[in-house]
Amino acid sequence: MTSFQQTLGEEAGIAEELAESQRAISIAEFFEKNKQMLGFDSEARALVTAVKEAVDNALDATEEARIRPNISVEITESGDYYRLAVEDNGPGITREQIPKIFGKLLYGSRFHAREQSRGQQGIGISAAVLYSQLTSGKPAKITSRTKGSETVMEFELVIDTDDNEPEIREERELTPGESDLGDTHGTRIELEMAANMRARQQLQDYIKHTAVVNPHATISFSEPNQEFVAKADYDADLPEETEEIRPHPHGVELGNVLKMLKATDSHSVSGFLQTEFTRVGRKTADNIVDAFRDRHYGREMAWSLPDDDGVTAAVTEAVNNKPAEAVGAFADQVVGELDDRAVDGRVAHHQVAAAVEAAAEGVEAEAQFGSTVRENVVEGVWAAITGYGATSEDEETDDGARIRDDVRAHADAATSVQKDDAVVVAFADRLAAKFVPEAEDPDLRRNRLHRDTVRDYVDRAADMTEEREDATFGDTARENVVEELWGTMVTVPDDPPKVSDLAADRQGVGDLVAAMRMTDIIAPPTSCLSPISAELVEAGLRKEFDAEFYSAATRDAEVTAGDPFVVEAGIAYGGDIEAEGQARLLRYANRVPLVYKRGGCAITQVIQDIGWRNYNLDQPGGRGVPNGPVVIMVHVASTNVPFTSESKDAVASVPEIEDEIELAVREAARDLKSYLKKQRSMRKRKQKQNVLADILPRMATKVAEVTGRPEPNYDDALARIMNNVLVERETKENGDSQTVTVRIENNASTKELPELTDIVTAEPSNLTDGASVVEMDGEWFVKWQPEVSSGDEAVLEYTVATDASFDLSVSGVEGPKLTVTN
Amino acid sequence: MSTDTDADARQQLIDLAAEFYDQFERGDVPSMTLPTRTKSNIEYDEASDVWVYGDRTSTRSANSVRGARKLLKAIYTIEFLARQLDEDRSSTLRELYYLSESWDAEEAQFNGQDESNKLVEDLEIVSEVKREDFHMRPEESGATLIGPLELIEQTRRGERQIHCQQDVGEGGYQIPNNPDTIQFTDHDIDFVLCVETGGMRDRLVENGFDTEYNCLIVHLKGQPARATRRVTKRLHDELDLPVLVFTDGDPWSYRIFGSVAYGSIKSAHLSKYLATPEARYVGIRPQDIVEYDLPTDPLADSDVNALESELEDPRFQDEFWTEQIELQLDIDKKAEQQALAANGLDFVTDTYLPERLTDMGVL
Repeated sequence: MTSFQQTLGEEAGIAEELAESQRAISIAEFFEKNKQMLGFDSEARALVTAVKEAVDNALDATEEARIRPNISVEITESGDYYRLAVEDNGPGITREQIPKIFGKLLYGSRFHAREQSRGQQGIGISAAVLYSQLTSGKPAKITSRTKGSETVMEFELVIDTDDNEPEIREERELTPGESDLGDTHGTRIELEMAANMRARQQLQDYIKHTAVVNPHATISFSEPNQEFVAKADYDADLPEETEEIRPHPHGVELGNVLKMLKATDSHSVSGFLQTEFTRVGRKTADNIVDAFRDRHYGREMAWSLPDDDGVTAAVTEAVNNKPAEAVGAFADQVVGELDDRAVDGRVAHHQVAAAVEAAAEGVEAEAQFGSTVRENVVEGVWAAITGYGATSEDEETDDGARIRDDVRAHADAATSVQKDDAVVVAFADRLAAKFVPEAEDPDLRRNRLHRDTVRDYVDRAADMTEEREDATFGDTARENVVEELWGTMVTVPDDPPKVSDLAADRQGVGDLVAAMRMTDIIAPPTSCLSPISAELVEAGLRKEFDAEFYSAATRDAEVTAGDPFVVEAGIAYGGDIEAEGQARLLRYANRVPLVYKRGGCAITQVIQDIGWRNYNLDQPGGRGVPNGPVVIMVHVASTNVPFTSESKDAVASVPEIEDEIELAVREAARDLKSYLKKQRSMRKRKQKQNVLADILPRMATKVAEVTGRPEPNYDDALARIMNNVLVERETKENGDSQTVTVRIENNASTKELPELTDIVTAEPSNLTDGASVVEMDGEWFVKWQPEVSSGDEAVLEYTVATDASFDLSVSGVEGPKLTVTN
Repeated sequence: MSTDTDADARQQLIDLAAEFYDQFERGDVPSMTLPTRTKSNIEYDEASDVWVYGDRTSTRSANSVRGARKLLKAIYTIEFLARQLDEDRSSTLRELYYLSESWDAEEAQFNGQDESNKLVEDLEIVSEVKREDFHMRPEESGATLIGPLELIEQTRRGERQIHCQQDVGEGGYQIPNNPDTIQFTDHDIDFVLCVETGGMRDRLVENGFDTEYNCLIVHLKGQPARATRRVTKRLHDELDLPVLVFTDGDPWSYRIFGSVAYGSIKSAHLSKYLATPEARYVGIRPQDIVEYDLPTDPLADSDVNALESELEDPRFQDEFWTEQIELQLDIDKKAEQQALAANGLDFVTDTYLPERLTDMGVL
């Protein structure tokens, strides 16, 4: 992942096209015209976009250098303008890198790179620089100190709107104390621009949401009204570096392929496919090329071979002035070669040509058959096969009977048995007439046809049949016939055009793209993705929301249109999260928060369609975003996140992605459901316990009163009723010492692992196995963690001085389930 | 009122409390097991000819909040009853309900009188002591009887000797809440006639049916109170008198007969003590509606449901009742006792009863 190249191929590709078409006008004008697309359409929004670009840049720069990001964003008022300063603790930049970072606006060199990167806007920081320059007239100030450097470099930079190149206006070398930059290495970018704080909420959301998905980063934010710091979670590691992958043939568009063809070093299409795309090896390339041939050149129809005598006669007929013996041998060779090439007894024109070629070479020793002769032989044999165009007038008189028989057989095979035979025959004969070779047209002569043409033939024959025979010939029947014929037809051996020629042929490239789509190719690798991981999603939520419950899920990678993608979801519930109103949705694409167009986003729509009542959340009307103290977070990571529009604020509705979003959210919600269920049952248990804790003692008292006996002990009964874990501590005096018995009785239906700590003021001895003692400041901590199965009990015993006081505590068992009696 | 019985009853209650005590001490969840008190758990006891609870039981356990509340109420009630016996006082079921308001534990207070009534019945069952022996009585004054019977009643104001025809007004002798406090001394009764409605009882008295036929007329007053059923049973058992039941001709009245003859579902634990299996049903029978062409009302849906449920009631599983109930469902009519007045005020005493009783071999 390069830190300074934010553009993700395609996006820049489109931008580039736009820029290219407007080269005649100035870059400033171009910017003005496209600012909506670039996220600078209003002063409020411009500030958000600039912050986004700068923060994304800073995160990428630090992560690339494997430094834990510490980023500060400051917005201050500066006269009529706002001043934005974003500082990171990255590796810093040198003077030489400046053009690379603030490279030509909207140009990306690696436009077809497939890698998950933050760059969503596809414009990078340079657009923000240009915006500030155009609105405030002030240059951007860049302060940087590289690692190990004693001095700080400060640049003032503008983008030359004539040639669209960055230009350094001022350059100063400062001591660290003189600069605004923090203690160590890093970069600070300051921009002054026309802006306002109307999008304050979005700005804060952006920072806060960024902190959620980047738990490894510390981000501090200050604006005229307030400031806050999102502290890093130091258990959260930096995201793994992603690998760049080449595009997958299923995920590219015509325009991209055109550009790739222009840029590639390969000469052959096969080589191009293998070097420029992922998951394409020799075999796959061959398959794509075959599919390309079928689309580009069409296939040739194969017809049944006549008997050997027929072929021999045709050969003999076509050859003049050669010794009869040689001709005989040649004819035999042709017969043999044709048989070798025939599939189901049928051959296509190019197979005839190849057979004749091979036969001529086979008999080279005896006689030479030159190219003219060979051509004549090919046409003669083809005429014998099709029954048309024979030079001699002898027995080949039955007009088109050969073709007709073949087509009848195909039509019969392709149509259902319900069809009237007479209708099928009539249809087949009409269809056969379309195949009659035309001598003038080389393709038609060879029966070389595109699939569309075959379909056209079938349609015309079928339409006519419907009209004349008053029969129905539906779409399925027609398609079956086409399929049957196309299956019989043979892919031609013509070489695909050279890459350089193809690049100039839009139609040809279209055929290639279609061929790539049609070919089965294994899914792209997912090493190019860097999901946050369920663990860190949870850590991020935990860091930014003080909730009672968190859950997260990461799905396995899936593929849509050649782009691998991963969906992750997280849920935080309860605690300090606002309980009034709807749940908060946090949407992310490639780790970047989406703050606009919530309603139009596939993420929102999927969440609205989930029946949240099943997950014990309130959802008025059973549809829509649920209510309550909930934060739902969804992250879509992909090499190419599909957005609804160029401004890239909302994920588009792609079924595969929507399915994964739903599964991820449901997975996280399942944990929430069981938590809420458990909470509810704990609450009930607590209520029950409260009532019973009132009733049982009263009952015991009354029973004692009526029977005139001392009050009975009801703890055991209570523990049993509550399915409780009962911990009882009893002592038995034995002279100066006492035997302490701690009994754990598990009345719950599940296994329990209670942790006991009994702090005594004298040294205990004779401990039960498994228990341990630690002394601290004259107190002895007796620790014991037995495993107690449902319905079982465990006993700890030790001896201690009689005058020792104690303090027994139990953890590891949920409060409402625990009864401790001393 | 023997002190022996009181002491016994008291001891039974304390034993019950002691049972809870032991459960606590053993670390068990306190519980109380009772026969399931539903129709499906009623069985015919061949030895005594009455319907008693079957083997199915349900357990009230402190395991649930509901169960715990019930048991808490039980122990508070036990204490109250034990003290009442100790002090030789008595109270009504309703008083118990109101009294619970004064108990210190709010959870022990009754939510309604049904709950306290039912609890007392539960205690009767588990302690095998009758409510009357706890000195608990129902609210309503007992029903009355009139006829040639002489008895001695133990009252709080001493013994009273009463002739139930000569010493009483037209209202008759009022049956005390605990009829075991009376002793039959003499009689001239030929048969006992239990009558459901006040109107019919008054008609029979006005027409002098009791004097004419040496009949003891017992007023059931709708569903008969325990005391009424107990007196009836004692009249049959001790004086060896035939017992006849005369009610309206509808499903609810058949249940009245059922509880006199076989016992009720609620008090099946006392059937042996309350039920008179030899009692016979006089009418109004559905066949009477047809034969005497009585004025009728159509059956309501609830009547039909009740009749159908009676067809499955173990107490009505005999040829007579199956036939009559099916006939009634068939004609879809019901009639009141007083419908007999359609044939004149004296029709019941001059014609209907003499004919029916002759048919039944009583006269």
